[in-house]
Amino acid sequence: MRAARRGGVYLLGSLLSAVGTVLALPLLCVPRLARWWAAWHRGRARRLLDPASGARPTLRAAWADAATGRTAGALLWLPVHAVTGVAFGLPALLCVGNIVVALIATPLWWAFPFVERPRLFIDVPVTGWATALTLGPLQIVLLATLAFVAFPPVARAHARICVAVLARRAGEELAERVEVLTRTRADVLDAHGAELRRIERDLHDGTQARLVAIAMRLAVARQAFAESPRDEQFVEGLLRDAHEGTEEAMAELREVIRSVYPPILADRGLDGALTAVVTRCGVPTRLEIGEFERVPAAVEAVVYFAVAEALTNVAKHSGATAARVRVGRTADRLSVVVTDDGAGGADERRGTGLAGIRRRVLALDGAVDVDSPAGGPTTVTVELPCGW
Amino acid sequence: MRVVIAEDNVLLSTGLELLLGRAGFQIAAVAQDADGFLAAVREHRPDVTIVDVRLPPTFRDEGIRAALQVRREHPGLPVLVLSQYVEQQYAAELLATAGGGVGYLLKDRVSRVDGFVDALRRVADGGSAMDPEVIAQLVQRAGDPLAALTPREREVLGLMAQGLDNTAIGARLVITDNAVHKHIGNIFAKLGLAVTDSGHRRVLAVLAYLNAAGR
Repeated sequence: MRAARRGGVYLLGSLLSAVGTVLALPLLCVPRLARWWAAWHRGRARRLLDPASGARPTLRAAWADAATGRTAGALLWLPVHAVTGVAFGLPALLCVGNIVVALIATPLWWAFPFVERPRLFIDVPVTGWATALTLGPLQIVLLATLAFVAFPPVARAHARICVAVLARRAGEELAERVEVLTRTRADVLDAHGAELRRIERDLHDGTQARLVAIAMRLAVARQAFAESPRDEQFVEGLLRDAHEGTEEAMAELREVIRSVYPPILADRGLDGALTAVVTRCGVPTRLEIGEFERVPAAVEAVVYFAVAEALTNVAKHSGATAARVRVGRTADRLSVVVTDDGAGGADERRGTGLAGIRRRVLALDGAVDVDSPAGGPTTVTVELPCGW
Repeated sequence: MRVVIAEDNVLLSTGLELLLGRAGFQIAAVAQDADGFLAAVREHRPDVTIVDVRLPPTFRDEGIRAALQVRREHPGLPVLVLSQYVEQQYAAELLATAGGGVGYLLKDRVSRVDGFVDALRRVADGGSAMDPEVIAQLVQRAGDPLAALTPREREVLGLMAQGLDNTAIGARLVITDNAVHKHIGNIFAKLGLAVTDSGHRRVLAVLAYLNAAGR
């Protein structure tokens, strides 16, 4: 079902963009624009062929991508895309369109004027309930089956042609990889710096400031203690404030420590820590941990936060009755998948949970994907390089 | 009352010795690690033990494991576990051992001397002492079913779960024993729990309820 939907969206998009390509042909002869248009389509095609291949392609990312690359390949691809987009996309449009026609015609055929009665099966006019109720559902079922069976392979075929035409030589691949690495490394350094500053700020404005206040109160208390006559109530008040201050400082410090590296990770490792997170989740959750070598502490911490945060969302917002956490190795990366059977519709822009996960994951050059259609289910996928 | 302490940090162990000494406890031994602790318990047969979660050599959860081991070797021997942070998992593991006399508190609580000494005595007497933070997490998670309780009843529920008996709850909330009794009756009725006496069994019942409600 999902593959058919993906394929359908891809094919209709390709049809639309093929028509757009023809209309904007003069403009697309500008090398950078051609490369940009091609890069975006290549990203789209790659993602269709391998949904786990990385982030959703955006026009903006493609624009940065198009700074370099082979213009000749892109220009050759333009006519190919115009032809294949229409050739593969038009049947898909006809298929979807005729499902829509049947959906409207079946209950509402009588609302059309006599001479313009809707037609099913291309040329059979609907003139009575008998035809409407037999041919309508039949057309919907047949075309939906066709879409279900044919959309995924047809979409993949189109994507393969696109990728093949736009395939680059090994040197270009390497150059691109180097460029991506340079860019992500700069992002990683930025994110890492931001994280350090946050910790510094928490300690500086919180714990350190509190200790200063406590020290001052104790100093005044000592002075007041030595004075005569001694104002016992005053001294007592200062000591009480200082005492309460130390308790608040301890609580804050605990929070900071937890945000840097959760102590349960140090105590029990990733396995034990995730078990603890899953146990305290309000929604019954199954934990599956695959076989993999030990991962770096920084990765462990991010996995812990991502799972804790994702499960908090599940418990708070999803209305789910069950959830699953899977941690395992995919190729050279550690992948973490949190799924629930809730209502979906998670929006990264609202709330800080998903944004927090993304911030931490990007700081390690990982990737986050949130798939949460309205009506559910929600799947949060995190992939992290581990130096394997 | 004789105490064996497992704490590798000298600052903290001397602090504990000072504080407990003044409160009338007798420190039988201070062990630096889990093995030393187990040996000291076998040798001194203390009335109560205090264990830090992190101990040498790896500073992971040796303390919890040592505490569980002691409870296996000497069923019912009171153990109070101290930690810089609380984790429900550890509380659950400790409570799963047979019999009463278990405590799990943040180290922060030590600075409230009276409350800490009370908790230690409670544990020594076969009762329990759960950190308010563990209970707060459980209560927050339990959510809906607790909505039927009044704020005062929720307060009483929290104190019960921490292991306080009726008299201590009354003193904490500055209400009479009778009022405490009435609140507890209401809580058990509203939550549909069978009334139990005020000992360790009641704590287990309340915690089990909170745990189930959070699922």
